[in-house]
Amino acid sequence: MSLVVDVEARRGHFTVAAAFEAAAGETVALLGPNGAGKSTLVATLAGIHPPAGGRVDLDGRTLDDVVTGRHVPPERRQVGVVFQDRLLFPHLSAIENVAFPLRALGVARREARSRAADLLARLGLAQRADARPADLSGGEAQRVALARALIREPRLLLLDEPLAALDVRARTHVRALVRRELIGFAGVRLLVTHDPVEAMNLADRMVLVEDGRVTQIGTPGEVRAAPRTPYAAELVGTNLFTGRLERLEAGAGRLVTSEGDVVVAWPPGIDGALEPVIGLLRPADVSLHVRPPEGASARNVLAGTVTSVRVEGERARVRIDASPPVVADVTLGSVERLGIREGIRLWASFKAVEVRVQAI
Amino acid sequence: MRHAPVGMACLALLLPSCGGSGSQRSEITVLAAASLTGAFTKIGADFEQSNPDVTVRFSFGPSDGLATQILEGAPADVFAPASPKYMDQVRSDGPGVTDQAEFARNTLAVIVPSDNPAHVGTLDDLARPGVKLVLAAVGVPAGDYAREILANAGIQKGTLANVVSNEEDVKGVVQKVLLGEADAGIIYRTDVTPDISARVREISIPDGVNVIATYPIAVMNGSDRAPAAEAFVRFVTGPGQATLRTFGFLPPS
Amino acid sequence: MAGPKRTTPGVFVVLAILGIAFVTLPLAGLIQRTPWSRAADVLTSDSSLTALRLSIVVATSAAVVSLVLGFPLAWVLSRSSFPGRRVVRGLVILPLVMPPVVGGVALLAVFGRRGFLGAPLNEVFGVQLTFTTPAAVLAAAFVSFPLAVLALEAGLRSLDTRLEDAAATLGGSRWYVLRWVTLPMLAPQIAAGLVLCWARALGEFGATITFAGNLQGRTQTLPLAVFERLQTDPDGAIALSLLLVAVSLAVIVGLRGRFLAAR
Repeated sequence: MSLVVDVEARRGHFTVAAAFEAAAGETVALLGPNGAGKSTLVATLAGIHPPAGGRVDLDGRTLDDVVTGRHVPPERRQVGVVFQDRLLFPHLSAIENVAFPLRALGVARREARSRAADLLARLGLAQRADARPADLSGGEAQRVALARALIREPRLLLLDEPLAALDVRARTHVRALVRRELIGFAGVRLLVTHDPVEAMNLADRMVLVEDGRVTQIGTPGEVRAAPRTPYAAELVGTNLFTGRLERLEAGAGRLVTSEGDVVVAWPPGIDGALEPVIGLLRPADVSLHVRPPEGASARNVLAGTVTSVRVEGERARVRIDASPPVVADVTLGSVERLGIREGIRLWASFKAVEVRVQAI
Repeated sequence: MRHAPVGMACLALLLPSCGGSGSQRSEITVLAAASLTGAFTKIGADFEQSNPDVTVRFSFGPSDGLATQILEGAPADVFAPASPKYMDQVRSDGPGVTDQAEFARNTLAVIVPSDNPAHVGTLDDLARPGVKLVLAAVGVPAGDYAREILANAGIQKGTLANVVSNEEDVKGVVQKVLLGEADAGIIYRTDVTPDISARVREISIPDGVNVIATYPIAVMNGSDRAPAAEAFVRFVTGPGQATLRTFGFLPPS
Repeated sequence: MAGPKRTTPGVFVVLAILGIAFVTLPLAGLIQRTPWSRAADVLTSDSSLTALRLSIVVATSAAVVSLVLGFPLAWVLSRSSFPGRRVVRGLVILPLVMPPVVGGVALLAVFGRRGFLGAPLNEVFGVQLTFTTPAAVLAAAFVSFPLAVLALEAGLRSLDTRLEDAAATLGGSRWYVLRWVTLPMLAPQIAAGLVLCWARALGEFGATITFAGNLQGRTQTLPLAVFERLQTDPDGAIALSLLLVAVSLAVIVGLRGRFLAAR
């Protein structure tokens, strides 16, 4: 069982093009910033929004082919969708919502209800079977939506931002449940999310979508090791500079970006000036100073204003609006000692050798 | 200043009602049976010509409805129903009348659409099953007379079963036949006016079973235009007779 | 501690009272003039009971016809865009703004014995619509049809179509989704449309008397019976009018309350 996608979908003036594959039993995360086109892709794969070009094949069966004009309507695709807004039927109870796909298939009422009840019980919702969607909590509603999508054992499961609407506590609980259900699910799973933690947690592979295009495909490890775009880099929590590499002096070069220049160690295997290249810098390698540092060996000293300080556990991620902007990881102790907060002026320094340059 | 046009409009609406008292013109209201529509409209115009200071306003309708209006207090100066029954009602239950006179008589006839879809040739044909017959409602003089005629002819049972609609006045019966919806209708002979005679065919009712309708006219008691009203009544029984004749009405007995 | 509530402006209160008076004073007038001693006789008379029964049958049939015919049109108007949509919507409103008698004349022109549909109907099948109970239903349906379309179109527009998309992904065919998702969610608007149509159909007079005629038991609905009685017995007509009002109120209040509460 597998999903083969190579489509172009259009919504108004916006076009999103994506080509990727997913095997049965594999969870692929579709990751991207808001407005990237992820929901459009979900609608296309679900059959709600026919593509403008390309084709979609599921388990060897063509669902969409613009060239031949073939379009299988959603009700015949055997796709299960958990929508961003859940879209539970307000006039039906939880158990009736879950039984709906079976009833639509023609399954007898009693059997449909009993199977729905079993699934709800497995998701911890036995007590809430007769409640109306309006009376369910966010986490409960999400589980009902999941049950409703799964009950027909579809070949493709599409989860569109399943945890986005939940508060932190519900999110952890539901994420664990989703993980458990996905393990038992035999078909292809596509998880759409903008939360990298969710993606890294649930996905086997990631497809990054930005501005209507796929910018990177790989396992979480691959993306973390070699992010290709600033967005990818931000996802995995690193600094990324992209621009033209020029010779500066022996062993060193200058990476000229649109927002400023960075001195880098000359990478092996490259002879002369090159464009475009990526320079990766770990936030932990950036030092912060309240006064311009003197006599440091670091070739890069950038001045700027602090735009955000985000505490994560014992560390803090500090963003500095310099030329170019950088992100630094420091300990909480340093934050307190140096009085680091938004709006103050700081100097960030890092060594040329700490910037890892590679050709794209 | 923006309110001026509105004010003017209100003033203009009020003016007619201010005009009445003290002026030379008087206006009389005549309630008359529907069958008198054509004849009385002409008589009214003629009367206004010879009496320039009087305006005549007509209200035509079924005589039973008009009588009820008078009993309910509707302003009327002259009443001319198609049957003495309603004059009696107004006289005994209502304001009462003066100068009552019989001014015309009428007989009834059957009409069918010019293409005669039900092939009706005589009065008796109306009893044939399936014929769509339209009459004026019970209580309307034309309706009562029609039923009397059918009883006289001994064909009540068959014909009443054929009635598909009871119209509120005799003009309604004419309408249904003109439209071709009804197969036949019973109306006054005077209702076959020149402008519809081409589109309907008249079938006469034998004198032996036909009914003679007598039309009374009178001035209402309590009318504050008594002189003008009396003048109108005299006109109807005098110079107006010629007009009534041209419209097909029979002279009073 | 709760602060001062926002009160209704005094002017609005006065105007609201005037508004209530506007509709209830005529009703009060009817009640006051009803000849209570005779009322029972009038209301239980043969002609009155026949008219009442016929009215209920005609109004109910007309409301159902309006809704059944109106739903597909409301669907097309709310969901597909085609050239001339605005014109079509204007045409649908036409029976509402047309004087009912004119409506009756129009129906005669189409379905009358010489009408362009009625003539072939008569020649080929020997059927004439005028003077029949179906004609009364047709007349009542004609005037209440716009109300059905308006209510249903508003309802369809307010529906979240994504729910119908979701139902499709769950395996619902178009008809299944219509039957089990769209229509149940539209239930309040359908009920509102039904009530509006029924009330309008019950009170229809001009089109009925012009197109269907006036015959007890076949086409004389309550309004026609009231009109006929008015010619000779105004007090009795008032009693009959009160019956018409009472029946309308009972149905309207009963149905609306039930469906509004379910929301």
